[in-house]
Amino acid sequence: MSHTRATRIRRGLGPAAIACAIGATLLPGCGSATRRAGGNVVPVTERDFRISAPSATTSGDVVLQVRNNGPDQHELIVVPDRTGGLPFRSDGFTVDEEALQRAEVGSLDPGSPGAVRDLRLHLAPGRYILFCNMAGHYMGGMHAELVVKA
Amino acid sequence: MRRGHSAFKPFAASGRRAIPAIVLTFALMSALTIWLSIRATGSSQNRAVVVEVAGRQRTLAERYVKEVLLRRLGEQADPRYISSLLSTSARALLDGGTAPAVNGDDDDTALPAATGGELRAQLTQEARLVTDLSNVGASVLARGNAAAVPLTAGEHITAPDPVQRLQIVAALASNVSLNASRTIAVDADRSVSDLIVLEIVLSVGGLLVSLLLVWVLVVATRRQGARFASLVNSSTDLVAVLGPGGCRYASRSLNAMVGRHGADPLGPGLMSLVHEEDRPLVEAVQADGAPREIVFRMQSGRGDWRHLEAHVSDLRHDRYVRGVVLNARDITDRIALERELTAQAQRDTFSGQLVEALEMVDEEAAAHEVVERAMAKISDVTPIELLLSDSSRAHLERVASSVSLPAPACPVTSPFSCVAVRRGSPVVFDSSEALNACPKLRGRAGGPCSAVCVPVSFMGRALGVLHATGPDGTPMDGERLEQLTTLATQAGARIGTVRAFEKSQLQASTDGLTGLMNRRTAEGQVRGLMGAGRMLALAVADLDHFKALNDTHGHEAGDRALRHFAQVAHSVLRDNDIVARWGGEEFVIVLPELDRDQAVAVLDRVRERLAESAGGSHPSFTASFGVTDSTVAESLEALMHVADAALYDAKESGRDRVAVGHGVAESPELVAVPGAPAPEPVAPLWGANRRAPLHEAADEEEPRPTGAEIR
Repeated sequence: MSHTRATRIRRGLGPAAIACAIGATLLPGCGSATRRAGGNVVPVTERDFRISAPSATTSGDVVLQVRNNGPDQHELIVVPDRTGGLPFRSDGFTVDEEALQRAEVGSLDPGSPGAVRDLRLHLAPGRYILFCNMAGHYMGGMHAELVVKA
Repeated sequence: MRRGHSAFKPFAASGRRAIPAIVLTFALMSALTIWLSIRATGSSQNRAVVVEVAGRQRTLAERYVKEVLLRRLGEQADPRYISSLLSTSARALLDGGTAPAVNGDDDDTALPAATGGELRAQLTQEARLVTDLSNVGASVLARGNAAAVPLTAGEHITAPDPVQRLQIVAALASNVSLNASRTIAVDADRSVSDLIVLEIVLSVGGLLVSLLLVWVLVVATRRQGARFASLVNSSTDLVAVLGPGGCRYASRSLNAMVGRHGADPLGPGLMSLVHEEDRPLVEAVQADGAPREIVFRMQSGRGDWRHLEAHVSDLRHDRYVRGVVLNARDITDRIALERELTAQAQRDTFSGQLVEALEMVDEEAAAHEVVERAMAKISDVTPIELLLSDSSRAHLERVASSVSLPAPACPVTSPFSCVAVRRGSPVVFDSSEALNACPKLRGRAGGPCSAVCVPVSFMGRALGVLHATGPDGTPMDGERLEQLTTLATQAGARIGTVRAFEKSQLQASTDGLTGLMNRRTAEGQVRGLMGAGRMLALAVADLDHFKALNDTHGHEAGDRALRHFAQVAHSVLRDNDIVARWGGEEFVIVLPELDRDQAVAVLDRVRERLAESAGGSHPSFTASFGVTDSTVAESLEALMHVADAALYDAKESGRDRVAVGHGVAESPELVAVPGAPAPEPVAPLWGANRRAPLHEAADEEEPRPTGAEIR
């Protein structure tokens, strides 16, 4: 959440920051470090309408480095893969997040095109599904599987 | 380049340029802010329309699905119209154009072309999805294979159901429309934020620039003030601004004159430094700003009074001054010089007039008169006297004193009893009561006094003293003392000269031995009398047997006899009678207003007095006289000749007698003697007191032109 807000502020004040030093005080270290210690970094790319990610990673602390290539906004939800598949809402094509809430491992709110965000997770070995649940996006093709090995 | 050499303009308002610059900056900043606000407002209005149309796309996409489904069920619906609206609006949103009205619910909407990479990408995606939606919808209506409809927006729809595919594409289109609307809204927010920031920047920048210009203005004003102050303060002129409360400004030079330890010239302090007599004048200037030029005195820090000449400028109505400006110069030295020159001129005049007056004097008494007049010129309140020594230089006598004042009456009697004479220089006594005062000042009639004593001398020889007295403790001022000294010098010079002249004249006209007139002087005087036609008797006298007296008793005795004769003759004769030593033992006696007969009586008295005074320091002797008068001849020479002839007769007749000559042509025998018979020309006229001749042989040797010696 905080990253999202910070990114928006940066984008909003970027041009003004050039002209005025006032804005500079509001941006300490923004967007400087995308790769941090403390976990495997798994690059994830979202675009209309596909999620690209490595098929496997190791368990433990994992940093999903999520880049949105747009043009639409996208979110990212990580849930364990269950054999029964994901439940849908009544419209028939939107995943029922409330039903998944307990199982949800982590999520990123909708992000603007061009943004790169980190999602820190502690992943146990298993299979996970990464997806965007904006209207029609899951069924439009935006889901990927990630295998976490021990 | 010219700047460096531009003329010095001390009061040019260089700072004035800052004021329009400040106004211009504010105007620019305000105009820019207003323009930006107008532009932002216009842009916001455009964005609102775009957001509305973009939002409408979402509704239209959902409505399209419903209409397709209704149509598929055979219901009344027009999905193509919706599809057309969607496509047209999507193109208009992306590239600009007209978004058509929806069934008369609203108006056609003109849209600008989308700007910004993200928005254009989303609108492009929306257009693709609208195309895909229309194509899938058409396939659903045609009950064709919807899965075979090519998708252009990157969808990877795996659902086989055509309706579900349609719903998914519609959801994608709806979602991207929503996000495009959000992007527009965010852009608008960002624009507003940017605008706010920019306006803050502009305001702060404008404020900073204005502050800078204000600073420039302040610096320029200060510099101007400093220039003015430097000009005023470096000037030697004393500048003061007078207002109702006193002095409102005093230049550095004025402060320097008043002095650090003096009173503060500001406020009422200045007036207290002005001389009491001049204060009304300066107060009038302070009140009225007039007159234009004044001279007044002000006390300096050293306590002395400085004369200031001030130019007055009435700037009470000048709002930058609000006072009367005094621009003053210290003219103390000039006034002192003028006074000195005036005094010098007066002294020169006095001295010049005195010298001229004394030059016209040829007698000492006249010189004394001049001195008295000069005393009156020096002062009509100070008594002055001139004490001069007589010829013996032993006694001092008052010869002149202030005419209308009582004389100081110095009791000094001898020149060398006077300290001024002894010193040879003027002496001033402040008070007769002082310890070192001249003792002769004490006990004067007027009580204690001050005094001045100036020695009068000639050629280094003391003649006397000029003495003046004044009030006790107030001695004569320098100027009068100077005049008194001048008087002493000039009077001494003239009196000395007159005395020397008189002495030399006396010496030239008298016989050194007897003190009688010498022959030359007597000749001149007799000729004068005869020239004036005056009646006179003339006698020639000769000491009898003088040669024998000399030989017997020596020349000293002879000289004493000659001096004795002179004294005797003087004692008998009147003041205006003339007796002169003619040469040797011969004398000439001239008796004005007498004829020869009257003269015989006088000469007889001389002869008798000689006889009476026989003895003493000189041997006794007698004298013979030949007398005539101015009726017998007109020239001195002729008269002398007649008298000589008569003397010869007297000698021939026996000496110690008076013979009368009656004319040049007359023979001695024809000498007529009153009361004597004419035929006895040789008979002695007066024979009394005959004495034995001292040296008859000597007398006999002296040849005589006519007549015989009378015994």
